[in-house]
Amino acid sequence: MGVQKNTYLPLTKSQSALWAGQRLHPDVPLHNVVYTFAINGPIDKIIFEKSFQKVIDSTDALRTVFSEEQGIPSQHLVDTIDFSLEFIDFTHNSKDEELKDWLHERTLLLINISKQVFDIVLLKTAPNTYVWFLKLHHLVTDAISNVILYNRMNSFYQNEISGTFSIPGNFPSFQDYIQLEQSQKSEEKDIIQQNYWKEKTNNILEKPKLYGEALNNTTAAIRTTLNLGVKRSQQLREIAKRNEFKGWTEDLTLFNIFLTLYFTYIYRVSGQKTLAVGAPAHNRPSRVFQKTVGLFIEVLPLVIEIDEEDTFISLFNRVKIETNTYLRNSGPGSSTTQSNSSFNTILNYIHAEFPDFNEFPTHTAWLHSDHMDSNHDLRTHVYDMNKSGEFKIAFDTNSHTFSQTLAEEMPVHFQNLLDAFLQNYEQPIQKPSLISNTLPAEKQQGTKKTVPSFQSVLKGFHDCKDRKPNSVALHYGNELLTYNLLNKKSNQLAHYLKAKGINENSKVTLHFYRSSDYIVSVLAVLKTGAAFVPIASDQPAERIKYVISNSGSVLLLSQKDLISKVNLPDIGVLDIQKEKSVIEEQPTIDLGIQQQPDSLAYILYTSGSTGKPKGVRISHKSLSNYIFWAKEYYGTNEKSIFPLFTSIGFDLTITTTLLPLISGGRMNIYRETTNGPDVSLLQVIDDNMVNCIKLTPSHLTLFKGKNLKTSYIRTIIVGGEELKVNLSKTVKEAFSSGLRIFNEYGPTEATVGCIVTEYNEAIHIKSTVPIGLPIKNMSAYILDDYNNKVPKGVIGELYLSGIGLSDGYINDPKLTKEKFIENSFADDIRLYRTGDLARINKAGDFEYIGRKDEQVKLRGHRIELAEIENNLTEYPDIENCAVVLIDSNKTVPENEIVNCTKCGLPSNYPKADFDENGVCHLCTAFETYKEKAERYFKNDEQLVALLSSKRNQNASYDCISLLSGGKDSTYVLARLVNMGLKVLAFTMDNGYISEQAKGNVDRIVKKLGVDHVYGKTPHMNEIFVDSLKQHHNVCNGCFKTIYTLSTKIALEKKIPFIVTGLSRGQFFETRLTEELFWDDDLDTTKIDDTILEARKLYHKESDAVKRLLDVSIFEDESVFEKVEFVDFYRFSDVSLEEMLVYLKDKADWRRPTDTGRSTNCLINQVGIYVHKKDMGYSNYSFPYSWDVRLGHKTRDESLEEINEVIDEKEVLRIMDEIGYTPLHPEWDSNSKLVAYFAGNKDIAINDIQNFLAKKIPSYMIPSVFKHVDEIPLTKNGKVDKKGLKAISSAQLAMSTSYTAPRNEIEGLVEKIWAEVLKLNKIGVHDDFISLGGHSLAAIRVTARINEEIEYSFPLNKIFEMPTIAKYSNYIEKTLTSLLEK
Amino acid sequence: MKKKILNYIKANLATESIDELDIYENLLESGLVDSIGMIQLVLFIETEAQIKVAPEEMIINNFMTVDHILKFIASKQNSEEKQV
Repeated sequence: MGVQKNTYLPLTKSQSALWAGQRLHPDVPLHNVVYTFAINGPIDKIIFEKSFQKVIDSTDALRTVFSEEQGIPSQHLVDTIDFSLEFIDFTHNSKDEELKDWLHERTLLLINISKQVFDIVLLKTAPNTYVWFLKLHHLVTDAISNVILYNRMNSFYQNEISGTFSIPGNFPSFQDYIQLEQSQKSEEKDIIQQNYWKEKTNNILEKPKLYGEALNNTTAAIRTTLNLGVKRSQQLREIAKRNEFKGWTEDLTLFNIFLTLYFTYIYRVSGQKTLAVGAPAHNRPSRVFQKTVGLFIEVLPLVIEIDEEDTFISLFNRVKIETNTYLRNSGPGSSTTQSNSSFNTILNYIHAEFPDFNEFPTHTAWLHSDHMDSNHDLRTHVYDMNKSGEFKIAFDTNSHTFSQTLAEEMPVHFQNLLDAFLQNYEQPIQKPSLISNTLPAEKQQGTKKTVPSFQSVLKGFHDCKDRKPNSVALHYGNELLTYNLLNKKSNQLAHYLKAKGINENSKVTLHFYRSSDYIVSVLAVLKTGAAFVPIASDQPAERIKYVISNSGSVLLLSQKDLISKVNLPDIGVLDIQKEKSVIEEQPTIDLGIQQQPDSLAYILYTSGSTGKPKGVRISHKSLSNYIFWAKEYYGTNEKSIFPLFTSIGFDLTITTTLLPLISGGRMNIYRETTNGPDVSLLQVIDDNMVNCIKLTPSHLTLFKGKNLKTSYIRTIIVGGEELKVNLSKTVKEAFSSGLRIFNEYGPTEATVGCIVTEYNEAIHIKSTVPIGLPIKNMSAYILDDYNNKVPKGVIGELYLSGIGLSDGYINDPKLTKEKFIENSFADDIRLYRTGDLARINKAGDFEYIGRKDEQVKLRGHRIELAEIENNLTEYPDIENCAVVLIDSNKTVPENEIVNCTKCGLPSNYPKADFDENGVCHLCTAFETYKEKAERYFKNDEQLVALLSSKRNQNASYDCISLLSGGKDSTYVLARLVNMGLKVLAFTMDNGYISEQAKGNVDRIVKKLGVDHVYGKTPHMNEIFVDSLKQHHNVCNGCFKTIYTLSTKIALEKKIPFIVTGLSRGQFFETRLTEELFWDDDLDTTKIDDTILEARKLYHKESDAVKRLLDVSIFEDESVFEKVEFVDFYRFSDVSLEEMLVYLKDKADWRRPTDTGRSTNCLINQVGIYVHKKDMGYSNYSFPYSWDVRLGHKTRDESLEEINEVIDEKEVLRIMDEIGYTPLHPEWDSNSKLVAYFAGNKDIAINDIQNFLAKKIPSYMIPSVFKHVDEIPLTKNGKVDKKGLKAISSAQLAMSTSYTAPRNEIEGLVEKIWAEVLKLNKIGVHDDFISLGGHSLAAIRVTARINEEIEYSFPLNKIFEMPTIAKYSNYIEKTLTSLLEK
Repeated sequence: MKKKILNYIKANLATESIDELDIYENLLESGLVDSIGMIQLVLFIETEAQIKVAPEEMIINNFMTVDHILKFIASKQNSEEKQV
């Protein structure tokens, strides 16, 4: 070794990383390494200077300077550095502050590394007290080097002082290390290591967002130091000695413990589970370099996957192993740009101690330069430099991620985890609280919490009435009601209700269209002291009954056209219109009943996860708290006009129902449209007669394309869903200035709204508008899974408390107990668990993150759908979006599948529905037309008669018998021969007939003495592949080939009939449908005609057969008359047992043993395998269920055949042979993320994917992106996620946008298509055939449409107009022209 | 093997230069070898003894003294032979 002094050397890997950081931020002291050594003893400054000169001379790192040429940095040694010590006398400065300031300022001073890499000052602070200020550039040093340097200086100084003669030793040079690293670059070991780090960090895309914040390129940083104290430090050391923790060295063990705590901390404050932490490896490869000063360390990542169930010890055990792997792969030059960018946090366990200087008591301090690498959020250093026995932890926090307050608080968060570890390391890492649970609640809207003085809503209304009796309160169509009149009318109704026995304890259900009657009823019920239970007009009778009985309502108040739909024998029903004259005779004065704060005001039903709606009880004090707060906050007054246009059963509507009436304002009522979607909002906008509006964000999207510049709306209150910034911005811009948009958050359980903010385009620049701060008398908390409060920024579940809280669900104490919990820290005792995830942002506002149950799991990853949506809406051309996880029903675990107790149909058959006896819907329906179906079947004589009917045509055969070699077709052939018919046997050789089956065929035809031909095509494999893709089986393709080829032979040989061996079950799979038997006077010839029509269509369907075989014979429709198909089993009914006896006797049929199944065809199992994989059930399930239903097979026989074992290896071999690639490879679960988006239709999906790839990890990127005209909404104006989840994969694969039905006819056609095609939602532009529609489905769809419309549309029209839009248009035109006639 | 390991430790790993090292000397407790040194020792043994040391096996019980190391190597070689 030994390097020429003037040689320019490149930078090492570690140096390059530092250099790159500094280049980006040239003006900030990123890499100043600064120590102060406070020495309690006299220092001779001359000797000090001389000694340090010796240090310089003996330490090449200190004589290294850096330069850059054409962007390439290099380093070289200078021969000598003339050092003169800077000495400052601080003894006259009495204040510590001044010294501190000086040190701080000097620490920040940049080092000019082209001249000198260090800065040394000796300060005299008192007589016999000195501070040695040592500043080095990180490029030439690391923690161990600092100690080496210090010790070297110490020993030189001591030698000089004591006069011991010393020459600077010949220490190994850092330059040698640089060369070593260079020379190892291409060594095998090095390459293996680099590959290791590459692989390790390949998939780490997302860095944890500490306290929800992401980096923004700032270098500013704050250091906060935590002193663990003697006790904790001792405990840690003691634990490190225990066998379950003990590693190779105590330091390594302690490092592992701190790392475990660090991973835990990062997980807890970010929620992220895949975590990489950078840690410096000291990297001194051999003893040679143990005494060398230089930058040896390399920061390399340790990667851990946190398990939710982890305890400290279970995590520690994985960390220990990870550290071992980390150590064995670290080595000079291991780090790469990729490995460096895999982490944003660092844990630095510093094993460095500074002894006393010249044996004077010395205190070492490590100073921070207020800046650090902008790629790091947090750098944490654990050290005990003064050998005090107390660990210190320095947290360097990025000033963007950590506010000053948070930087000061975060050490406590870490220490809380550490204390929990010390107390019990077997506890879950999620359990300990990061912050004290006794901290006060977050601040509220306004300054102070106001003590509530109760005032009822009615009092508010009466005040307005008294003030301005003649101003208009309601405007409904042509009707105008003044406050006075409204009050009188409601008083009259109240008197009437009271007479009917309604009192303070009653509940009255209100089932109304939006109308003035509804508002009068609400006021009247309240005036009697009772509670109202609103139910919207569109609710089904069952639900109304449920609500009435569940709420304990004694009376249903309604309107006549609504009441007629509900049959309610057990309750008083009052038709307010019918009783009009009686009501109008009632007194108009007030009942004078006072509403009590704790008595019920209303019960609102919201959908429950169990499927039954749950009734939320809201008291008068809750209602008043909200309404009067809203009046004040939104500033509503007698000029305010609200449209009542949202569902009365929706909690959001409470605002519109009552706020204008206590403000002296006006309500414009828009009655709902009864048919099709409710378009009242559009009417509201067009009318332009309101200035305040309350709606959902999804409603806001309907403002698109409307002229809003002239709108009078100035106040928009949004609730019910999260509000996107994009949307708010667009809306705000669309209106003329002065519009205010308020984002109101609140579950029904906390009375309409309890957290609110006003949208502010200057502040709200993230994707979602925060929900803001709690309203008065309400508090909000964010808690983790262990009900601990979480620190600001951290995501947790939102809990609410305060006056607005419901006292629970009516008649559901269990659910009430689950959702309303007691706690020790809230101001009120009860907390409501919202199920919403939220965090508090830096500004102190609550941010809604998403539904807790919207966290989905995909391939082991926990995914927040809202997070994907938020990122997606940031894409410029996307206006709105919704992401769902489609869990296809194929994933029903095998052991959860049940079979129909009658026919064996599996429960995962699409839309299968079982009754309480486990009988399927097909069996149940069949009972209703079983008798009629019987009429379709005939007997042997009729068969013989039919097949002999065309004998005079001079053909040598009566019929072709399709012989597969299986039992059914063999039986057919044998019977036909036995009947004395002249038969030509036809066997399709598809290339996969088993040898034994072929033997059967050959032997049988010989034994029966019939002529026999084989059909063949070179395209068979292609047909199989096409069939597997289109129908998930091989049989469809094979059958069509058989029909095509046999028809051709029949035509050539003038054979009039082809006899199939289809089982009766297969008739229902391929020919017959329920609808064919609907006719009361069933005519089987009509059925035959329909089947024939379907057969014609069948040959027109585009598939591989049509493409590859000669199908010209079907162009002339006469072929269908010349060659007729006859199903043998339509005429003959035989049990399996009978059949087998007959076969053995007459045909010498033997069950093939070389297919491994009861089939004779080797490829058959490929079809079954693919069908099961793609659809979840066997393609035989359906036809066999029919065989059972028709008595052709028993349920057990059927299930036994269906459950036969499949030889997977053979299946995969055949798939490969025919060239079929499975749709769903083994590794792919059937679940996938699907993103629906509205906006520019022509966005390249690729662009969206690339856009998302930069923001979220790959497993969160949806696999399907589907454009929709509009995101579909539920009745309440929320995104219809359930509907979106129900869109099938075939529909998703279509290039057409999803458009929901737009009118009644389209709605009807969609309903029918969906029933027949077994889909849940169909876009009006989706193609019938692509949806899986075939000729049989065409029969069913057409029959159903004809039934509904009472008209006879021909079968083929559906293929001519294969979309709902086109077909509906055709229906409409047909009907119109009929009317005109 | 014994000699090779002892020499390797003396020449490359020991934090201070030493003359004598016997196979019963605790490598770790005395601070003779640090954790990076232990990893280098693992790598050295892997090459010399043609075995693979899994991260889970890098524990004190296998590496406390040269004697432990030799026993560990023997057991590894045994089990690997059995697997072949």
